[in-house]
Amino acid sequence: MILRFLFGFTFLAFLLLPAAARAQARYALSGLVKASGAGEALTGATVAVPALSLGASADERGAYSLMLPEGRYQVVVSFIGYQTLTRDINLTRNQRQTFQLAEAGNQLGEVVVEGTGNLQQKLQTTQMSVERLTAKEAKLLPALFGEVDILKTLQLKPGVQSGGEGTSGLFVRGGSADQNLVLVDDALVYNPSHLFGLFSVFNPDAVQSVDLYKGGFPAQYGGRLSSVVDVKLRPGNPDKFTTSGGLGLISSRLTVEGPIKKGKGAFLLAGRRTYFDVFTRQINKANQDDPDFNPIPDYYFYDFNAKANYKLGDKDEVFLSGYLGNDAFSFGSGQGFDFNFNWGNKVAALRWSHTYNSRLFLNTTASYTGYKYDITNRLDQFSFNLASDIQDVSLRSDLDYRPNDQHTYRLGVTATAHRFGTGRLKAGSDDGRLSLGSDVTYYGQEAAVYASDIYKPTEKWQFEYGLRVSGFQSGGQQYGGLEPRAAARYSLTPTLSLKGSYALMYQYVHLVTNSGASLPTDIWYPSRGSVKPQRSQQVAAGLSWLLGDGRYLITNEVYYKWAQRQIDFKDGAQLFVNPDLDSEFLFGKGWAYGNEIYLEKKQGRTTGWLGYTLAWTKRRFPPQRGTSGVNNGDTFYPSYDRRHNLTAVVIHNLSDRLKLSGSFVFSSGQATTLPLGRFGFQDVFGADAAAVPVYPQRNTYRLAPYNRFDLGVVWQMKPTRWIPESDLTFSIYNAYNRRNPYFVYFDQVKDEQTEQVTGYRARQVSLFPVIPSVTYNFKF
Amino acid sequence: MRFFGMTRLLNTLPASVRRVVGLAGVGLLAGCGLQQDIDVVLPAYPPQLVVEAYLENGQVPRITVTESVAYLAEPTPQVPTDVTATLTLPSGQRTLLKFAPGVDTRTGKAYTHVGTRTLAAQPGQTFGLELLDTQGRRVTGSALVPAQVLLDTVEWVFNDKPDDQRRAYVLGRFRDPATPLDYYRFQIHRRRVNRDPEVDYTVEDRLSNGTEYSLGTGYDYKANDTLFVTLYHLDRPYFLFLQSVQDARNANGNPFGQPSGIKSTVEGGLGVFTFLSYQRRRVMLK
Repeated sequence: MILRFLFGFTFLAFLLLPAAARAQARYALSGLVKASGAGEALTGATVAVPALSLGASADERGAYSLMLPEGRYQVVVSFIGYQTLTRDINLTRNQRQTFQLAEAGNQLGEVVVEGTGNLQQKLQTTQMSVERLTAKEAKLLPALFGEVDILKTLQLKPGVQSGGEGTSGLFVRGGSADQNLVLVDDALVYNPSHLFGLFSVFNPDAVQSVDLYKGGFPAQYGGRLSSVVDVKLRPGNPDKFTTSGGLGLISSRLTVEGPIKKGKGAFLLAGRRTYFDVFTRQINKANQDDPDFNPIPDYYFYDFNAKANYKLGDKDEVFLSGYLGNDAFSFGSGQGFDFNFNWGNKVAALRWSHTYNSRLFLNTTASYTGYKYDITNRLDQFSFNLASDIQDVSLRSDLDYRPNDQHTYRLGVTATAHRFGTGRLKAGSDDGRLSLGSDVTYYGQEAAVYASDIYKPTEKWQFEYGLRVSGFQSGGQQYGGLEPRAAARYSLTPTLSLKGSYALMYQYVHLVTNSGASLPTDIWYPSRGSVKPQRSQQVAAGLSWLLGDGRYLITNEVYYKWAQRQIDFKDGAQLFVNPDLDSEFLFGKGWAYGNEIYLEKKQGRTTGWLGYTLAWTKRRFPPQRGTSGVNNGDTFYPSYDRRHNLTAVVIHNLSDRLKLSGSFVFSSGQATTLPLGRFGFQDVFGADAAAVPVYPQRNTYRLAPYNRFDLGVVWQMKPTRWIPESDLTFSIYNAYNRRNPYFVYFDQVKDEQTEQVTGYRARQVSLFPVIPSVTYNFKF
Repeated sequence: MRFFGMTRLLNTLPASVRRVVGLAGVGLLAGCGLQQDIDVVLPAYPPQLVVEAYLENGQVPRITVTESVAYLAEPTPQVPTDVTATLTLPSGQRTLLKFAPGVDTRTGKAYTHVGTRTLAAQPGQTFGLELLDTQGRRVTGSALVPAQVLLDTVEWVFNDKPDDQRRAYVLGRFRDPATPLDYYRFQIHRRRVNRDPEVDYTVEDRLSNGTEYSLGTGYDYKANDTLFVTLYHLDRPYFLFLQSVQDARNANGNPFGQPSGIKSTVEGGLGVFTFLSYQRRRVMLK
């Protein structure tokens, strides 16, 4: 029923498409923006016509399109990390122009140079609440252990909180980590982190850019409440074979790229692997004869990214993207006890891009995504295996139609088949006498259609409006909803714009976790039974002001978000291999509101940004299902609520070969739960007596505020015959060695002589002291 | 046949993963000098009455009533002296438990209130408890007598290693009743029962109701070891209480732990009031 309705809606939306262009002497200027040499598409590059205050952004294919009156214009093309290109165009007919931008520095240590076009574009677009970051930009900033992480860099943007020290999880405008839609080349990634959340799965060598939408969501996005993290992989070099990579403190990277067939297509293969395990194995080996030595567990992760594109003709091109990553943790005591824990994602996406003409494009993508973890434990002759996975197969099609310079239509349809393996257990003994098995699997189908229009009736006004209709079914139950999206921009002056947006979102799949951190064992659960889809609405309003002859852009946004059917879990909920998982959920409401101020400078020798967020996030879970809810039904702050958040990032080009960067972060303390009381518990006889902590309420305590300063230096080395491009990147994480709180716990104080407990104390644990690192990067 | 040789891990595997990761991290951080004492200001915590009352057939009821305290308070046990404890027998008869603090020589556990007569109860019967102090605090609870579930067999198997490395694993077998929501606690003591057990875990029958269960150990025991193998049959409130105690203890000091409230079996305070139904076997490994 829902599917019939969705297809009906699509048909209707197509019928409503207005007739094409107006009969004016206006012509299309369209084409591609590419990097010179490498030839990669520069997604997000700006093509601007300053004389008309018009501009357009290149899409994921590097394609742009502008409708201009007949005439002679100066066109300015710019992109972060590339030299701005200015070209005179005499437009007397529809014209295709491909712009090739030269890199501003070398590949590894480029200067961030950007024309005013990008900021001008941000001023003029209706899209608000979006942050764009390129891998090139992220590589200039200092990083923990020297591991550049594009998701962690996003945490430096206003409105985005981290889950804790060093973690890559994103908490956007009061949303939880599972409310982010993480896409890589349009394919979903369920668990975007390695090493229990310390690093993201995105290899910076394979990533071109990431767009983070915090609000004002375009209608093509859906399925999560709080943000969209849209990662685009970099296409390979279509002209020549190149190899690049890096040797770091904890991992190494290697990327190979080149043409598949000259002028037809290119490929890119990128891989990286950590090598903690190489060292820990040597330590274990050296101490294997020491009976008091406890072997160090093995841990490593690796990931591979691949991308290939191939032109089938003038109008058709196919793109294949893939990701394979795995984390492996193992421990063998040598005394009959072995523990192996593996987890990882597999993602593949095949996209067919068809250009009907300079105004009409169609993208169709088939994708697969899977995430699984697998724990195998063995004790003597007994073993057990616990595993969980989720797999999706999706098909989506997006049609872009730009009939004139007043309208840009986008229509699309998407369908996904989900398989939720929420828990599979096998246990037994070698002799087969003992065995146990359990398997809990659910299925679900999700679909959506959408239509949107960017409408520009005058120079001062611009609107973007759309409607998404989504549906989901699992276990014989069907859910659906209308998701209207709207945004508007009004230009008060050529340098000052007012903006507003509204978005309603549904989320049909839910992360089952009762940990404060993102763990590989967290599982996804469909809407079914009592678990209804989550829903949120967000309104935002703001202004953008271009200052200093277009060198600075200051943006201020205020937002309010309210959400229903938020999910939490009963205290002590049994979340593993539980056929009755449904009964462990609690449902409540959430609110988030705040103000974000953002100042950015992207031109000149010194660039960077300054952001400040004042925000509140609240949750309320009333008494239900035989419980008193959460905190007796009172409103409480979730752990990721932060009142103040200040970030400052500066990148300074000292010379052509030396760049300095620094970043500073300050945020209010994390809300956390500490036991307020304790009691002595004797237990039945023959069992341990103990002090038992009493946790009457959640998150009643705030950790100390978090602040940190990181420093980075990129030193471009002289070219050699064999390695024409190389650099050394130095990072100092937590430069002033601040002991930031990771968590607090209570400990007994004992008399050294008698071992009697004499008191209790609070202990604060920090994770990272000052950590210097160096990474060698190369390209040949 | 159902095996739970590592049932504790099996039942609480995510918690175990969190514990392994968390405790490994804490150990590492302590070694790196990344811990420090801090002052914390916590919201006021009103003390609550805490009761531990385990009734047994053939035993005089002895219960312990204490008081919870603010976490950072002095470690001195708080024993209120003004609590009146009344036990209601299945017949409805109310009997006062006398305040007479002491240590039970059989169990080695301290108690505050003691009854006068031994108990004789049948499965399915219900006892009641009421505590009342001079501040007007009132704690009430009821305890259902669970049916006893017997160990069918206790067996052990030695490995094939040389004598000095020869060890045995131990299995206790029983059949879970056809009724759902049965819970068990399995303990193994070496030599004496009034000391810490070497094996102590709880299991439930939600995955395999009504089948035979085998609860066991690894190769941990030597020849001629004397073991006491105990199987408790628990009711759901007691099982949830034990789990919540375990969760609460695990959450302190573990950044990946989820702090859990105590699921008391009594109302108006903290603690447990239950009737113990168990079977214990003594075996010598030959």
